[in-house]
Amino acid sequence: MKRIFLFFVLLLSAVGWSFGQVRPLSGTVTDKASTALEGVTVNVVGTKTTTMTDQNGQFRIEASTGQSLKFFYVGAEPVTFPIDASTRNVNVQMDISSNKLEEVVVTGYQTERKKDITGAVNVVDVADIKDIPTGNPTKALQGRVPGVLITTDGSPTGGATVRIRGIGTLGNNDPLYVIDGVPTKSGLEQLNQNDIESIQVLKDASSATIYGSRAANGVVIVTTKKAKNGFSKVDVNASTSIQNYATKLKTLNAEERGRAYWLAAVNDGANPNNNQIYQYDWNNDFTNPVLNRVLLPEFIDAAGTMPPADTYWYDEISQQSIIQSYDLSLSNGGEKGNSLFSLGYYDNKGIVKESHSQKYTARFNSDYKMLNNKLTIGENFSASYIKNALIPASDILFASLVQQPIVPVHTIDGGWGGPAAGMTDRQNPVRLIEDNRDNKSYFFRLFGNAFANYDVLPGLTFRTSIGIDYNGTYQRTLKKSYTSGFLADPANQVFNGQVYQGNIIWQNTLNYKLEKGKHSVEFLAGHEYIRNINQEFSASRQGLALENINYAYLNAGSTNTLNGGSGAAYALLSYFGKVNYVLADKYIASVTLRRDGSSRFGAENRYGTFPAFSLGWRLSEEAFIKQLDFISDLKLRYGWGRSGNQDIPDNASLSLYSAIYGVDPTWDFDRGSAYDINGGGTGQLPSGFTMIQQGNAALKWESLQESNFGVDFGLFNNKLTGSFDYFIKKTSDILISPAFLAVLGEGGNRFINGASLQNKGLDAIISYDTKLNDDLSLNLTGNFSLYRNKVTYLPKEVLASYPGNGTDKTILGRAVNSYFGYVADGLFTSQAEVEAAAEQPGKGLGRIKYRDLNGDGIINDQDRDFIGSNSPRYAAGLNVSLNYKNFDFSFFLQGLNVNVVNDFKTYTDFSSLWTGTNWGSRTLDAWSPSNTGSSIPALTLVDRNNEGRFSTYFIENGSYLKLRNLQIGYNFKKAFNMKIQNARMFVQGSNLFTIKSKSFTGPDPEIPNYGFPVPVVGTIGINVTL
Amino acid sequence: MFTVLISCKKVLDEPAQGVVSSEDLGTPENIDKMVIAAYSALGNDHYTSPYSSMWPYGSVRGGDTYKGGDGPGDLSEFHLFETFSLNRVDNPLLDQVWFRLYVGIGRANDALKRVNEISDVDFPKKAERQAELRFLRGHFYFLAKILFKYVPYLDENMEKTTYNTISNRALPDAELWAKITDDFRAAANALPESQAESGRVSKFAAKAYLAKVLLYQAYEQGEDHQVTSINASKLEEVNALADEIIASGKYSLTTDYANNFLATTQNGPESIFAIQYSKDDGTPKGRLDYGHALNYPMNQEYGCCGFNIPSHDLINAFKTDVNGLPQFTTYNNVDVAANLDFKSSTFDPRMDHTVARPGAPYKYKTNFIFQRSWSRAPAIYDSFASMKETVLPEDPSFQKVPPFIGSSKNWEIIRYADVLLWKAEALIELNRSLEALPLINQIRNRANTSTALLKMADGSATSNYNVQLYQPGVNSDWTQAYARAALRFERRLEFATEGYHFFDLVRWGIASQTMNAYFEIEKRRVAHLNDARFTKGRDEYFPIPLNQINFSSGLYKQNNGW
Repeated sequence: MKRIFLFFVLLLSAVGWSFGQVRPLSGTVTDKASTALEGVTVNVVGTKTTTMTDQNGQFRIEASTGQSLKFFYVGAEPVTFPIDASTRNVNVQMDISSNKLEEVVVTGYQTERKKDITGAVNVVDVADIKDIPTGNPTKALQGRVPGVLITTDGSPTGGATVRIRGIGTLGNNDPLYVIDGVPTKSGLEQLNQNDIESIQVLKDASSATIYGSRAANGVVIVTTKKAKNGFSKVDVNASTSIQNYATKLKTLNAEERGRAYWLAAVNDGANPNNNQIYQYDWNNDFTNPVLNRVLLPEFIDAAGTMPPADTYWYDEISQQSIIQSYDLSLSNGGEKGNSLFSLGYYDNKGIVKESHSQKYTARFNSDYKMLNNKLTIGENFSASYIKNALIPASDILFASLVQQPIVPVHTIDGGWGGPAAGMTDRQNPVRLIEDNRDNKSYFFRLFGNAFANYDVLPGLTFRTSIGIDYNGTYQRTLKKSYTSGFLADPANQVFNGQVYQGNIIWQNTLNYKLEKGKHSVEFLAGHEYIRNINQEFSASRQGLALENINYAYLNAGSTNTLNGGSGAAYALLSYFGKVNYVLADKYIASVTLRRDGSSRFGAENRYGTFPAFSLGWRLSEEAFIKQLDFISDLKLRYGWGRSGNQDIPDNASLSLYSAIYGVDPTWDFDRGSAYDINGGGTGQLPSGFTMIQQGNAALKWESLQESNFGVDFGLFNNKLTGSFDYFIKKTSDILISPAFLAVLGEGGNRFINGASLQNKGLDAIISYDTKLNDDLSLNLTGNFSLYRNKVTYLPKEVLASYPGNGTDKTILGRAVNSYFGYVADGLFTSQAEVEAAAEQPGKGLGRIKYRDLNGDGIINDQDRDFIGSNSPRYAAGLNVSLNYKNFDFSFFLQGLNVNVVNDFKTYTDFSSLWTGTNWGSRTLDAWSPSNTGSSIPALTLVDRNNEGRFSTYFIENGSYLKLRNLQIGYNFKKAFNMKIQNARMFVQGSNLFTIKSKSFTGPDPEIPNYGFPVPVVGTIGINVTL
Repeated sequence: MFTVLISCKKVLDEPAQGVVSSEDLGTPENIDKMVIAAYSALGNDHYTSPYSSMWPYGSVRGGDTYKGGDGPGDLSEFHLFETFSLNRVDNPLLDQVWFRLYVGIGRANDALKRVNEISDVDFPKKAERQAELRFLRGHFYFLAKILFKYVPYLDENMEKTTYNTISNRALPDAELWAKITDDFRAAANALPESQAESGRVSKFAAKAYLAKVLLYQAYEQGEDHQVTSINASKLEEVNALADEIIASGKYSLTTDYANNFLATTQNGPESIFAIQYSKDDGTPKGRLDYGHALNYPMNQEYGCCGFNIPSHDLINAFKTDVNGLPQFTTYNNVDVAANLDFKSSTFDPRMDHTVARPGAPYKYKTNFIFQRSWSRAPAIYDSFASMKETVLPEDPSFQKVPPFIGSSKNWEIIRYADVLLWKAEALIELNRSLEALPLINQIRNRANTSTALLKMADGSATSNYNVQLYQPGVNSDWTQAYARAALRFERRLEFATEGYHFFDLVRWGIASQTMNAYFEIEKRRVAHLNDARFTKGRDEYFPIPLNQINFSSGLYKQNNGW
């Protein structure tokens, strides 16, 4: 590392400066909307004296009276400003409308003009998503950035999953977020959406490598708003939304459930009256069965507390509800400092009752200039406080599907209804809501940094920053006793837990910019240190006298006192350097080198070195292109880079034992090592140690290499702009903990650098911007992306832990998340077909026919093959916005082409896989000798054909096209005589319609199974700027 | 320049938090704790693929019980066991039980290696602990052996790095048995006759287990799992070991059969080796019997999950003839389970200790009558329940673990009744049937006198009981063949639903004929057995899990017929 620093020192000493004998001038350059323009070239006409505006649009230059300043900004008409004797401040406005290429972009410890960018970087138009009330900016970005696949659900508390350019690793694929320069792996859901000034996505390794260790999955850079020098303003945004559960799964009602059961029993030749709830008045003729009437009992339980009901559980658990969003920001910019203060409140009651989430945010961003403006000291700091409901939403949604409709919500005496004889042992979902409505988690996050920038010499800036990313969660929950059908738990319990975790991030960078004639060079050298800690503890007690959240503190419990706690820590230490070089605005080159150390690896392999470079050629600056009038901008880009991944448990390189006294074995084997050796049956037990993992001292950094080929263009005076990128991404030494030969027993799991993946793909964005007349402007922005992913290498001994049969059919050469199973070949529709088919235990009329793939005349595990994957075939988005006078109108369509596994078919299509649950309405359309056109297997109570086996029957086309957002706004600032900068009112709708494949049998392919449904939302709101 | 600010070496030395390395476990105190960890594997049983309780493998597959639950789809892996014909090499629960057994073996090997390395001076209990660990290892290997036949044998002297070179066929059948008997022999030699801590195994527990293992080996099998010969010397040894246990005077049959299945009388005189469960022990839910967590009825007192439902065949088997003897061949001719008539014929009282049925008290509680509504899927599995593994809701050992049900009641692996019947079995096969007679009659006598708890609320008997002893020449003709049939029937009744019936059938070489005869009749009673069929030469053992064959890169060889 020392060599790099030496290099910089030598370089600095080799460069000299000359100073003229003229007077200093300063000024500000803005666009027509008074937004400061950074990176405007200011030249004293006829001389080589040139400078650039800073991030506040300010510049300082020295010139004499009689000379002129000329301002250049690509895409804008140059502006000339003559200097007379009285000129002190030069304030210039430039027209940059329809010029997206000129934005200044944060690209890694520095800013660059977009035209100089040579990596694959997307800039998000924050204005497009500003008012969408998702509570999580990431959700609002869904579908808007090519190559960035965001999956999410409708939960008010839910996060979103972000995958940039496919699946790059077999572990954690989350990108790195860099918020105001502070890196974090937590998403954006705790931010106030309206605090965000800009979002950039660094998609390829050549641009992301500067962030090194954790950048292999891409980087999302977020810059929050700052006050602008010379402006003070107050922004107020408020909106209220109504949200609805869009499409509910169609389940059987009480009478239909009875009918379906009768059909199933009769198909089996079994007495349908041999069940504990329904009785049937029928002709008792199995060859020609006729059902006269479904008879309901007076009560469904022996105790006579539950009369038969007709409950549609989805209606009982869902609600139309309100989302409220308010925020206020005050900003003040002056000569000596800027400050911004904002407050936000977001309240989403959720479409599942009591799934309420509330978020409070505060931000304080400020900076102060001193020492002749050479030193800037500032901070960006935000605090978030989030109160989330702790209802078991997925259990509630699932129970709504499987709880039988004949079960009443309440018993006749006001107690809880619940499953009766023969029914599935799932809870009354309404009880789950009511008994948990007072249980909340309280989360806080402190995030930000304090920094100092010092201009050591003109062009040379030193920056140091101490960042903090710390959060804590407090939970106190009361589990109430209950009786609900045959389910009952007489024990109550209070649980109290706290988790604290966070990072301290220390960064130092030295930045040097030099312009000499046609040459522009920028050097960056830096260092970063991150330490992460995590600690948690929890306790619980039972035997509370009152079941009231205000009483339910640990001290109130009297029995079964339990506690637990754990901790973890890791550290990262990195050095990095970067050189950007631009020749004549035409040829661009950039080289990055980063060296990262992680405490997670063994001593020998702690450090990894990650280089990158990229090249750009602005063809449009070449004479032969300049002749072509229709080309306003054209740039070819190539980038290559390597970045690393260390996302494994903190102690993965070590062989370890743990003293596991006891775990909760409700859902999985006990791994504990205590035993009642005294045979006392109770009391403190002697306990040993459990081996938890095998070490691997050779464990090293996983690394990703990516090549990116890109082209940026602007045509017809930049009316039509766009980028195409093609990438090849190869990940090797992927950190995996594969399944292992079982004889190794407990703790046989071990991390190795053991797999390679390849992702190839392209992303494209095209934007058409036009001003039809002074009143009417139109923007269309479309994006498209696709990738193909495959596993290229796995050690032979771990192959079997991935889909495949372990021998001739393996995951190699296939997509990571490939499905392996049987091919369902429709239903048997005639006895002749049944007899002609391969030997298949349980085959019969109306049963699923499985394809004999190996042709050996018998259906067995040899007949499984790869039957698809969950990788999208492509993703696309289209945003249209139209401005007419004071009106604005926009809509956004998002589409995804993908196959999904619809596990819910287990319940919606079969009466045999879970005989005690409710079933889907689809069962009424099942195959029967009189309904031979159906593709739904004949109803039966006994799954002889093993139809729950994983097969193509459960794979459906999950493609969709959604109208994510539709918005109309009206700006009535002119209606006020006061100095209001902006006063806009808007109405919008989210998820207004979905087009899906006919072959998808669920309500929403975006949430094919157990997720929280995505609501339809209508919003009305205002934005006011004073 | 920045390198002076942070010394890079040190900052990346983050000590591991909250864990311990292997070297730190070498102290005598910690080694003794590693022995506890090995015992603990016995108690880590779980309903998803039990191994301390063998009900899905031995009771369901032996025709004692149906899988139960919501239907064939609920824990469908067990349905595949139950029907045999549907079972598959990739049945994931086979892979899981295989793994769990090697967890137990691994814990025993880990502790044994540490005990071997420490001196007697530092660790005075060295020889005793070695013996305990070899017992535990022998136990887990025995289970693996009866489930999978050919399994890789790994001991404490092998490095883990070499495990992937050891085939499941490295040892032929007889040698694999020999390894298991070696462990029990060593244990029997070094263990004390009794233990202050009743959870620890004793010399006679090891002798009993040795007898059990030898008895299984005595019926020598070919590659096609059929019995080729019966090894008399092994039977002699079984007989001798049983005699030693009997002569020790440490064990006896409990006066009431029920005492073997009640928490209040656990670790009693009949218990030779039992899994010790506990509650209110500082663990989150208690170290409960999770192997049976699904086997309670679906009423408000319990609520889950209606598994392990006694078959009609089993219930009918408890019927006795006018002489008070079992009906070896004709018991199934009348389906008393279907018409629920337990008065007009006579029954062995062990039925009402084993099977819950509508109208009869559940678990001896006269005002807690089993209802048809307590059964989960009567249309499929009818409306009975198994009771030996359950406890009453008010029992101190009872513990709800929603949505499942647990208890800290111990689970018997070997009880004294087993020893008596092993001895009887050995004697019959040694053609000393007459010596077996009093042993079998001892069991029958205890059954006959175990009716005190089998009462209705009005004090009348729950069913009409009649059990008589075998009296050669009076009510029976005690030939070897007759004695063999009597012994086999007695084992079924005595140990019904306790998890080992199927393994008895395989040992005797009659699994195929017994199970196919069972399916032939039983499938007319319950639809879920429609496709059930036992393939002779294949279904005596589970297949080696496909995953393990794959993970071993084909080093492991599949069992015959799979």
